[in-house]
Amino acid sequence: MRKPRTAFAFTVLFFVLLYLPVAVVVLFSFNSQKSLTVYEGFSLRWYEAFFADEALIESLGMSLRVSLVAMVGSLVLGVALALGLVRARGKLGLYAGFIMLVPLITPEIVTGVASLLLFKGLGIPLSTMTVMIAEITFSISYVTVILRSRVAALNREVEEAAIDLGATRWQALLLVTLPALLPSILASGVLIFALVFDDFVLAFFTTGVTPQPLSVRIYSAIRFGIQPTINAVGTLMLLGSIALIGLALLIPRFFGRRGGLSILSGE
Amino acid sequence: MIRLSNLSKSFGEMHAVRSLDLDIEAGQFFSLLGPSGCGKTTTLRMIGGFEKPSAGVILLGGKDVTYEPPNKRDVNTVFQSYALFDHLSVWDNVAFGLRRKGVAKAEITQRVGATLEMVQLGELGTRKPRTLSGGQRQRVALARALVNRPRVLLLDEPLAALDLKLRRQMQIELKQIQREVGITFIFVTHDQDEALTMSDRVAVMNNGVVEQCGTPEDVYERPATRFVASFMGTSNLMPGVYADGAVTLDGGLTVNVGQRSFADGTAVSLSVRPEKIWLSDFEDGMTRVRGTVRETVYSGPTTTYLIDLVPGVRVAVLEQNTARSRNEDRWAGGETVDLGWRTADCLVLS
Repeated sequence: MRKPRTAFAFTVLFFVLLYLPVAVVVLFSFNSQKSLTVYEGFSLRWYEAFFADEALIESLGMSLRVSLVAMVGSLVLGVALALGLVRARGKLGLYAGFIMLVPLITPEIVTGVASLLLFKGLGIPLSTMTVMIAEITFSISYVTVILRSRVAALNREVEEAAIDLGATRWQALLLVTLPALLPSILASGVLIFALVFDDFVLAFFTTGVTPQPLSVRIYSAIRFGIQPTINAVGTLMLLGSIALIGLALLIPRFFGRRGGLSILSGE
Repeated sequence: MIRLSNLSKSFGEMHAVRSLDLDIEAGQFFSLLGPSGCGKTTTLRMIGGFEKPSAGVILLGGKDVTYEPPNKRDVNTVFQSYALFDHLSVWDNVAFGLRRKGVAKAEITQRVGATLEMVQLGELGTRKPRTLSGGQRQRVALARALVNRPRVLLLDEPLAALDLKLRRQMQIELKQIQREVGITFIFVTHDQDEALTMSDRVAVMNNGVVEQCGTPEDVYERPATRFVASFMGTSNLMPGVYADGAVTLDGGLTVNVGQRSFADGTAVSLSVRPEKIWLSDFEDGMTRVRGTVRETVYSGPTTTYLIDLVPGVRVAVLEQNTARSRNEDRWAGGETVDLGWRTADCLVLS
């Protein structure tokens, strides 16, 4: 068979265009000079500058807090919603299922503006808390989409068996159903953490003045001229994201069964 | 021990179980037998507490448990899918029920160990269910239910997923375990052989009602209805009309059946089991007819002949291929043979 040279060339071009800018950011984060165009030698000065910048560190701390809270909050609500949607009788589950998908297809800027108007309308001052609320709301859909098919694939008899053996409904949920869903729950949690940490649009509209999430802080900094420190921050965020996604893909393997992010791994 | 009275269950327009009355004695191996959709599993699920009856009462040891939840009933279930907890070891699966009841640790250790021994899984306590074979998983499900020493054990087609050889072996083993522990077993199956070999009593169900309830011999030898006769093995149902101690079959043949409690002119079905029809060495007083062999089906220990008595009336005849009676190619297709049966072996069903 002839080698599909054209397809191969396009594939290479695609990946070059996709990753070249990222590679430039990583490279220049180690530049010894301030230039963003000429590489003049290796140094870690921009990383030192980042860790010395209290405002940036404060933003990093806020982003981590927001991501963590959004992860836990959306997991609790998203898993509950997935259980409810699969087990709801009649039309209610069907309608709720459609409504659940709306945030996924709504342009994020619309969600952002809408959240801003809501908080303003209710007289709630913008703060870390409002970012958390907005991010949780936005993330529930992801958790539910991932968990729903896993819940549907659960054997109802397993929960019945637990109740048959003397467990209450709550005990059956905690001792049998949730452990069966654990790989999917952990994997979607990691995904949500990464998505929220990277999120800019929603954070931009719902954050107060100080502190600001890291993504918003970087955007503000760039308006006053690009500092090489941003390259260092970008490289660290990239590493963190890769680590998280890798973790999300590894979780199902660790449990030795299906049920992680099949969307990501294509399994 | 267990009394179901006037028990009914409807799912919308679908009547799964209709006014069921059953008495099941303590210590029995009781089978609910019927084709899929006959209501046997729904009945079992109502006894287990997983379905609320639409009407009727379930008494367990004299106590009304009709609307008690499953965790408040002294009943345990072996599910068709086994429904094992995959994230727990075999040992923890079996200990699950005792832990929920707050049984002391030492007693749990002792009882789980003994139960695993009984189902021959003593070595496999640390394994995860997923690493076990189908037969082993089946035993875990059995042990997990039995360890609680329930008054009644419900089994929902527990052997359906096993291959034939393993199923035969488990049938014998289940029966032994049942005798050993003395617990009442209620066993749902669609396999009539399984019900006949294992049960003390069998209830044959169809369309949500019990057509007949009795010992395996009762339901096989003396089926009360056409459905029971046709569901329990091959029964050579031949439509005809009863009059004065004889049935005139649709093909014009009249067969003496003795006096029965039917009015003359009643449309009936005559049934003679394949193994009750003789092809040689006839006794005096037997009903004798002639027929033409149409098909010979050899299956190891037995041979089945399909024989036309008159055009349109075909019966199956089963012969043992014992050293005494087996004769190579005894009858070939197209040959005319004599058939005979005892009048007592004729079943006349309305």
